[in-house]
This record gives sequence, structure tokens and C-alpha cells, in this order.
Amino acid sequence: MRRLCGSRIRLILPVIAILIFAVLLGFALIRMFKVEADIKVDAEQNMLWVMHQSESATRRLVETTLRAELGEADAEEIALRLDLLRSRFALLQDGPQRRFITEIGLHQRLSELHATLQEIQPLPKAFTAADVRQLRQTLTPFAAFFVRAANMTMVREWDNLGGRLETSRDQLRQIIVSLIGIMVTGTVLTVTLFLSLRLSRQRNAMLHRERDFSSLLVASSGEGILAVDDARRCTIWNPAMSNMMGQTAEQTIGRELSEIAGFFDVAQVRQAITAALGGKINSLALQPYFRDAHAPPLHVDLRVSPMRNDEQVVGAIIFIHDASDRHMARQKDAEIRGRLEHLVAERTRELDDALTRERSAADLYRNFAGMISHQFRTPLAVADSALQRLIRRGPRADANETAERAAVARNAIAGLTRLVESTLDAVRLQAGQASAKRIACNLMQVLEVLGTQLRATSPDIRIDVHHAEAVDAVALCDPAHAEQVLENLLSNALKFADLDTNVSARVHHDDKHVHCDISNAGPTIDDADRDRLFEPNFRGRNSVGTQGTGIGLFIARSLARMQGGEIRLLSDDARTTFRMTLPRFGDTKG
Amino acid sequence: MRLTPLTALVCLILAALPVAAQDDKPVLQVTGLNSDAPARLTIADLRALPATTFSTSTVVTDATHRFTGVLLRDLLGHLNIKGKMVTATALNDYVIDIPMSDFESFDVIIAYSMDGRALERADKGPLWIVYPRDAHKKLQDIRYDYRWVWQLSEIKVR
Repeated sequence: MRRLCGSRIRLILPVIAILIFAVLLGFALIRMFKVEADIKVDAEQNMLWVMHQSESATRRLVETTLRAELGEADAEEIALRLDLLRSRFALLQDGPQRRFITEIGLHQRLSELHATLQEIQPLPKAFTAADVRQLRQTLTPFAAFFVRAANMTMVREWDNLGGRLETSRDQLRQIIVSLIGIMVTGTVLTVTLFLSLRLSRQRNAMLHRERDFSSLLVASSGEGILAVDDARRCTIWNPAMSNMMGQTAEQTIGRELSEIAGFFDVAQVRQAITAALGGKINSLALQPYFRDAHAPPLHVDLRVSPMRNDEQVVGAIIFIHDASDRHMARQKDAEIRGRLEHLVAERTRELDDALTRERSAADLYRNFAGMISHQFRTPLAVADSALQRLIRRGPRADANETAERAAVARNAIAGLTRLVESTLDAVRLQAGQASAKRIACNLMQVLEVLGTQLRATSPDIRIDVHHAEAVDAVALCDPAHAEQVLENLLSNALKFADLDTNVSARVHHDDKHVHCDISNAGPTIDDADRDRLFEPNFRGRNSVGTQGTGIGLFIARSLARMQGGEIRLLSDDARTTFRMTLPRFGDTKG
Repeated sequence: MRLTPLTALVCLILAALPVAAQDDKPVLQVTGLNSDAPARLTIADLRALPATTFSTSTVVTDATHRFTGVLLRDLLGHLNIKGKMVTATALNDYVIDIPMSDFESFDVIIAYSMDGRALERADKGPLWIVYPRDAHKKLQDIRYDYRWVWQLSEIKVR
């Protein structure tokens, strides 16, 4: 507060001094002009001389008349003296002289005398003494008038002079006082100036010290510091900047930022600098800076602040911090997290698979009786038919035929045994261990075996087996289960196929799975049935009138899922296609 | 004074008489430094020389007046008179020294007419030294005002 008062006094005092100085100077000047004008003396103020000359002319004329009486002067000389007196009157009647005479109150008398003078006739050449005496008597009042006039003139002129001198003295006195005032205010101003100079020098020194300190800070900072003016030309470039960017202060100062490095021309950086020049502080994190085309970029943090001078933005200061380490740590974090997530997803998928398998096995176990009744029907029929034929043939059958038919019956029975064993194993082993039974299984071979078996029971069926070129038909599964699934799908296809049409089986694969599409041409499946097709004991509308339990597709899907596979109904208007999908053996190897 | 037409006429005749009489009489005596006999000039002699006319105010009259006369430097040149100082004397014995440089610096004339009328002895004639007061600020000074010699009768050059 005291400091504020001090500075205000320091400001107000000189202003007041200057005002007083100017007023006094103006006043003194006006007074001096007045004095200068008063000092001018005009000839009109020389009236005393006029009066004296007039009196002198009168007396010379009188003197001439006296001399004429003595015969020493002629008429011409009298005429000359008379003219000279007349000229005096002409002068007194003119301009300033007339005004002065009026001022001293003698104009009336002067006019009377002038009239008298005008009436005087020039003397003839042969004049008499009486003429001359007459003339002299006429002139008697003239000399007395001019003596009185001179007297009055002297008094008036001295009065005027005295008055003028007094006025001038007053004015000079005022000028002197003004000059003293000017001197005092001049002294005040000088002292103020001296004090201001000293203060200014002190502040300059302080400013220098602070600037030196700032320079030291900027120079020794580990952080890159640069500044730009409002035209984006570089004004500060500290050693840390040189290290970071590979350009020295000499190379950069005075140049535009966009010329120094392309980094400063990147949209985000340019916008940040523009915002700072507009007065806003802002920062950018982890901006990539490519110092070298072949090396990985530095990652830098930027803080851009406006630089102000008296509220006006004159440039911007930019702090650049090399945050490559932080960037690398963050990247490593992200990598680890990614790997963990991947691992978790993998584990989750495995667990989901295991759960599906377990559920399928459990479903199958619960429906074991149903499955047995369904799955056993065909092999039992095969074995029964083989044995019946053998009995009918009796002794007519030779050894070969007997052996053949027995083999068919045995094969069917062996298939049943395998199914029972596998199913019991799978159910017993439960989730997690179900995969223990999975081995490499060529689906093409399974299809061929099935084809043979099915033709053995009904020789007129037609099954076309194709496969894509260079197909890898080897799946990872329990072969007995795969055989059961395909047997179910094929039996269904044959059961619902139109007369005289073929059932097709096509094997193909993708990256992870082997697919087997079983399709037939026959009545389509209602949309409403599609969703419920795989539920146990469900029979579709188009299965009315055919033999079946409604458990085949349920068993097929359960078995496929136990292998990590799936059964789907593909949408196709022309044909009905069921696809079995199993994991590729080749994929797990890889 | 009240002027009746008759008295005005009488005055005019009286005023004209001496002028007519003076024209053939010498009115100015000019004495050079080394000339034995002074030059005596009549009004006619002066009128014969090249005339100069200008208007100026004077300190003894109001308003400005047109003066016609002979440039002093022309007159002295005509008479072939050189010198440093001129002493001018009037009919009433008024004597004034005038430096010759005045005549070189300013167009100082010996006027014989004012406002187109011949100057009279009963006024400020017949000759009046007139400075071009209005043309030069320097001449508006009492030290020049006293050099205006009227009723000039004699010039001595030293």
C-alpha cells in the first residue's frame, strides 16, 4: 500500500510540476509580449517637439517682422516665415497631432488661431512699417498659445510615460515571479528525473538479474523449452531441445517452426500453438516425433502456454518432455493385458466346450434307455436278417455263405458292443476327461462302412458320397460316436427322401473343422419345427406316418457335442441338409 | 472655421500663386564633397528626372498617401556626387544626418507631390524626403522617422 502511494506521488508530482511550468511559462510569455508592445515608441508621442517647433516658427516670424521694420528683411522672407508657420498649423490640424490637441483640450483655441492665420494676407513688396506692426500684433497670441501648449504637452507626456513605466514595471515584476516559479518547478522536475533515472537503473539491473536467472533455468532444464513469437518464429531454443531434435539454437532461432521440423506442422501441434497464441494453455500427451525415418519415434509430452506482455499475447512457450519410457511401459502393459485376455478367452472357450460335452453326456446318460432302443434297432435288424437267411438256407448253404452271413451278423453285434462301450465310457468319464477317448478318425472311411452296412439291410438304397478336392477328412473324435451320428443322419435322409432320389454325403473342411453334409430331396421342414427339431421325443409334422421315436437327432447332436462338434440344419428350399461339424485332427496337431 | 465658397476660392488662388512663382526658382541646393559650386535645382529640374511613385503611411498623417518624386540615389548619381553621409537641412533650419546606405537599401525619394498634388511650402513642401515605410518593417522605427525631412532646402554630401 505504501509502495503504491509512493509510486502515485512519483507520478503525480512531475505532472503537477509540468502543468505549473507550462502555465507560468505561458503567463510570462503573454506579459513579455505586452511589454514588447508597450516599449514601441511612436513619433506621435513626440508632441513636445512639435509644440517647440511651432513656437519657434512663430517667434522667427515675429523676429522677421521686427527686422523688416528695421529694413533688414524683405517681403519674401516674411512670406517664407509665414508659410513655415502655416505649415506648422497644417501639421497640427492633421492626424495624431490633431487628436493630441483635442486630448489636452486646446483644439478650440487652435482652430481660432488657424482662422486668424488664414486671414493674414501676404505683405506687398513695398510694405510700410505700419503693415508690419499690424502683422506682429495679429501674431501676439500665437507664441503665448504654443508656450501653454508645450507646457500642457510636457505634463501629459510625462503622465503617460509614468503610467506606462509603472505598467511595464508591474508586468516585469510578474515575469520575474513567473521565472522564479519556472525555476522551482524546473528544479522539481530535474530532481524527479534524477530519481526516476536511478530507479529505472535499479529496475533494469533487477530485470537483467532475473533474465539471467531465467536464461540459466531454461539452459539447464532437462526438459526441452522453446518459444515462438506471434509469427511462429523461434526465439528460444534450449540445449535440451538441441539434444532432442538434433538442431542447435543457431540453426533454429529466427526461423519458422514449420521449417525447423515437420513435427511442428502436424495438425494437433499446430492447433495447440495457435490456441496458445490465442491465449489458451493446452497440452498434448505422447505425440510421436520421428527424428529419423529408420529409427522408432520418440514420444513426447507438450505443454503450450501463451507469453504475454501487458495482457497482450506476444508469443508462446512450449515445454517438450521426452516420454518415450512411459510410452514403452504403457505399450508393454497393453501387450500383457492383451495376452492375458486372450488366455482367459481361450480357457473360457475350453471350459465352455467341456461344459457342453459334459451336458451332452449327461443328457445322453439320462436318455440312455431311449438311445439303446433307438440305436440298437438297426444293428439288431441286420443281425436278425442275416441269421434268418442262414436258417432258411439250412443245409443248402455252403460254408462260404454261412461264414459270410455270420460275419454280417457279427459285424452288427460288434458295432452295438462298440457303441455301448463308448457311451458308457464317455458318460463315466464325464467332462474334462471325455477328450481322452478322442482320436484321429477319417470320416470318408466311416461313410463307406456305413454305406456297406445300410445296403446290407436294404439293397436298393442309393447314397452318393463325394468330397471336395484335396479334402482333409480326418477329424478328432470318438469313431464309434461319429459312426452313430452319421448313421442317424443317413437313416433320416433315406427315410424322408422322395422315391427314386439319391441321398448325398459330402465331406469338406475349413481352417478348424471338418464338415459332413447329408442332404436329400424330400418334403421340407416347417419353420416352426426347425427350432425344436433337436429336442428329445419331438417329431415333426412331416414325420407323421413314418416309423420313429423322435430321439435320433437329439442323440446325434448330443454325441457330436461330446466330441466338441455340432449338428445344424442348413437352410435351403430345394433340399434338406444336415451338417455335422467336428474339430479337425490337423488343427490340434498344429 | 467656416468656409464659404468665396473664401475657398480666394484660398485656392492664394495657394496657387506661390507655386507658380516657385517653379522657376531654385528650391534645392546640393553640395558635393569636392565640388566647388553647389547645384541649385528647381522643381522643373527635379520633374525632369525619372519619377518614382509609391504609397505609404506617415507618422504625422492618418491613412496612406501616394508620393511621387525622385529617388535620392538617382539624383546624386545624376549629379555625380558620392559620399558616406548626407546632411539634410529644412527651411526652418531642421538639420539631420542620413547615411548614404539608406538610399541604396531603400527607395528613398525626394517627393514633390502627394496624392497627385504638388507639395506646398505652407504645408510640407515643396520637397519632402519620404521613406517607403510600409514596404519595410525596419523603417517603422523612430530612428528612421526623424529622417523624413520636410520643407527640404539643402543637401550636403560628406
